[in-house]
Amino acid sequence: MERGYWIKSKPIYTSLVWHEKATSHLVLASGIGGMAALKLFQQMHPAQPVTVLYARYAQMEVDYSETLKKVVPDNLHVFKFEEDLLTELKSIMPHMRMGLRIYVAGSEGFIWDVAKAVKPFGVDDAHIMKEQTDTLARNVYCVHCKAVTKSVTTNIVACCGCERMLFVRDHFSRNLGAYMGLMVDAESPGELPAIEEIYP
Amino acid sequence: MNMIDVRVAAIEQVTPLIKHFKFVKEDGSKLPPFSGGSHIVVALDAEGRTYRNPYSLMGSPTETDAYHISVRRQENSRGGSAYMHENISVGMTLKITHPVNLFTLAKMAHKHVLIAGGIGITPFMSQIEDLNRLGAEYELHYAFRSYKQAAFVEELQKACGNKLHCYSDSDGKRLDMDALLSNQPLGTHVYVCGPSPMVVGVLETAKNLGWPDSNVHNEQFLAPPVGESFKVQLAKSNLEVQVPAEMSMLEAIEAAGVQPEYLCRGGVCGRCELSVLESDGGLEHNDHFLTESEKASCKKIMPCVSRTKGKRLVLDL
Amino acid sequence: MALNFKQESFRDDYTYKNSPEAIKRFPFPFPEDQYMYSVNIEPHTKGKPGSVYEFPFDIDEHYVAECHDRAITLAEDAGRYQALPHMMDAQWDFLELAMESLSSDYPEHFTLTKNGSIWTWENKPLGIHDTFTFGDSTTLPREPFDYMGRQVQGDFVLLDQRDETLYADAGMVTCQADWSLAFNVGMSWREWHGPVPKATELGVMDRALKYLMNLQLANPVRRLNWTMTVNPRLDTSPENYPHWGGDRNKVNADNVSELIHLRVELQSLFRLPRSNGIVFSIRCYLMSLKDIATYPRWAKRLHRVQKTMHPDLIEYKGMTKFHPLVVEWLSQFDDGADIGVGTQPE
Repeated sequence: MERGYWIKSKPIYTSLVWHEKATSHLVLASGIGGMAALKLFQQMHPAQPVTVLYARYAQMEVDYSETLKKVVPDNLHVFKFEEDLLTELKSIMPHMRMGLRIYVAGSEGFIWDVAKAVKPFGVDDAHIMKEQTDTLARNVYCVHCKAVTKSVTTNIVACCGCERMLFVRDHFSRNLGAYMGLMVDAESPGELPAIEEIYP
Repeated sequence: MNMIDVRVAAIEQVTPLIKHFKFVKEDGSKLPPFSGGSHIVVALDAEGRTYRNPYSLMGSPTETDAYHISVRRQENSRGGSAYMHENISVGMTLKITHPVNLFTLAKMAHKHVLIAGGIGITPFMSQIEDLNRLGAEYELHYAFRSYKQAAFVEELQKACGNKLHCYSDSDGKRLDMDALLSNQPLGTHVYVCGPSPMVVGVLETAKNLGWPDSNVHNEQFLAPPVGESFKVQLAKSNLEVQVPAEMSMLEAIEAAGVQPEYLCRGGVCGRCELSVLESDGGLEHNDHFLTESEKASCKKIMPCVSRTKGKRLVLDL
Repeated sequence: MALNFKQESFRDDYTYKNSPEAIKRFPFPFPEDQYMYSVNIEPHTKGKPGSVYEFPFDIDEHYVAECHDRAITLAEDAGRYQALPHMMDAQWDFLELAMESLSSDYPEHFTLTKNGSIWTWENKPLGIHDTFTFGDSTTLPREPFDYMGRQVQGDFVLLDQRDETLYADAGMVTCQADWSLAFNVGMSWREWHGPVPKATELGVMDRALKYLMNLQLANPVRRLNWTMTVNPRLDTSPENYPHWGGDRNKVNADNVSELIHLRVELQSLFRLPRSNGIVFSIRCYLMSLKDIATYPRWAKRLHRVQKTMHPDLIEYKGMTKFHPLVVEWLSQFDDGADIGVGTQPE
């Protein structure tokens, strides 16, 4: 990899830290992301109202729900699946007001599912604090057939839509929450570079 | 810069201190459409110098048979606003720039909260036209000293209906920023134009309540401040220019026949930025454009509003 | 002067050809023997009569065939046109700018009649005649940008200005040099230039952004960009890469001068009045090496530029496979004589 290189189209994920200026907080976590939520409460218990939504089963089967129940004062909601969390999120968003701060921790796929869910309510992803946990797996958008192949851990992957072998480019679309996948052997059919797991 | 020739079609004394000017094209054709919040720069040749002052466009951005501006006579005017008030009469011709917008409405906002203080109402006079045309949700909060000194209240009542909220000092009615900004729906953007304490108040209140910076907008044109006289040496043009106390550096450079680029002439847009090669005293940065570290480095200056504290300055121009 | 529109294709049998007049007015992009990636922005002012800079939007002999090719691409893939909902004012701004420019610059081909907000548009080469209400999308057969974008040569991206940057929030992109509108729509300036090598490190993109944020009404700007394409193919999109990528293997020493085309983009940017957006117009000119070499000065210059090209740029522009063949073929024209600065053919 070229020195000094970074993916300019992808935001840099950080560790979650409370915003001091806020009127309320909303924490969304999935799987190992529960640890990031717990760490937040190690920093402090904010004076403003806090809501925590946690999905137990993400990419890996880790469960912080019991610990969270002990730490989060009230307004903790635990879900079995990320989809259920997202449904609840959409139902509470209309009641939120300016001054709400949103924090999300989980896989990159989960982070952008959340960003997509809150966007219609006027929240720009730039204002969501994001921590990537669990896995480096990438969602890959096939530029040829427009299908998104989820949780890709390898440099090259078969498209779930058109079955072309896609090279996973370091170019990220926040709108799609996915990296660009481009047919790898269009110029030399069947000739594939080595397929390696590089996003464990 | 492409300028537009206009004729003064009407002048109205709106309040004791504010005059409203109506400009039309000489040939009767329409002026270019614009976006709400835009301003133009009016060029005035007077007493051997050229004043170039920015004024917000009022009225409909899409029905542009005429452009409308309002000028408040400034107490310590360097001459621009006083000249507009005293020497401009109906039928005169003037040169104006094309509209420039440094105070745009956020198109993706779910709701707009507009806050005006005094003459700061002018950019909102075109923005409400855009908001009405688009059917957007908004409220306009307009604070002033007294109804007698407040411009356009009747027009605004007609255009905004119950979306208009007026606050008159003389009635003791105050705008409670904290109450206003602490219960707005997500996706709200707030815009403020008015005297400096009001602008600072809105910015601070929004910040303390956790509003993201990108949802808070302000327009704070600076009138170029007066100062001490100094000399500017233009290295490339090989010219020495004396900047008088009541003239901006940009005006003095223009008067010497050099035409640097400019847009807002109010320290906001950054277009007239110049590199400083030498200075014998600190720089007096009055702009909102350069970062604090850029200001501290003394390598850049915005000649539209900034000056030197010394006697001599060398610019890469 | 009325243009003679050609019947030709940009795919399958590739019957696209340039007339001697079209060759002579080709916007050759290399004023010097060395190429550097730069912003090279200049005012988009009126150029010499007959040049590609004569009018804001250049219409040439390929107009009808290009519009036809665009219609085929759009019919196959609706994703080549995108417009986010907040861009409707910008759409009307674009329609107005394009209609007013074409009707005043090419009155024998295009006519615009205004009766208040009721406008009548006639496009004779494409056989279009419509009356509509400006500002009311329901009175047009398509959204305004979709409607008018199909009637002007070149790709168009509408940029929204907010948060101290520019966002690519709408576009009609069917003759692009390998970038995807469907993937890039909604991206900020920095995001969509992410894959440009070296350039961002040099601060080129940041400076260009600062400049464009201050772009003024009635003061458009332009720059040239270039790449090379196998066959006169307009649609070299990543979407259809599986269809055209293999063409790179077909280049050999015998056919290189006919297959390889210098692809020049005349990029121009106009501030839009109602939306305060910007239209980014990318007008593509394709010229085979053989046609370029009809002017020895160009052939010499192109040889020198290509010979000294940085390998990263060759790779970024997708020319790695055939680039040595291009340099080799052009070398026959280069006697090493000093040809001075400038892009003129002779």
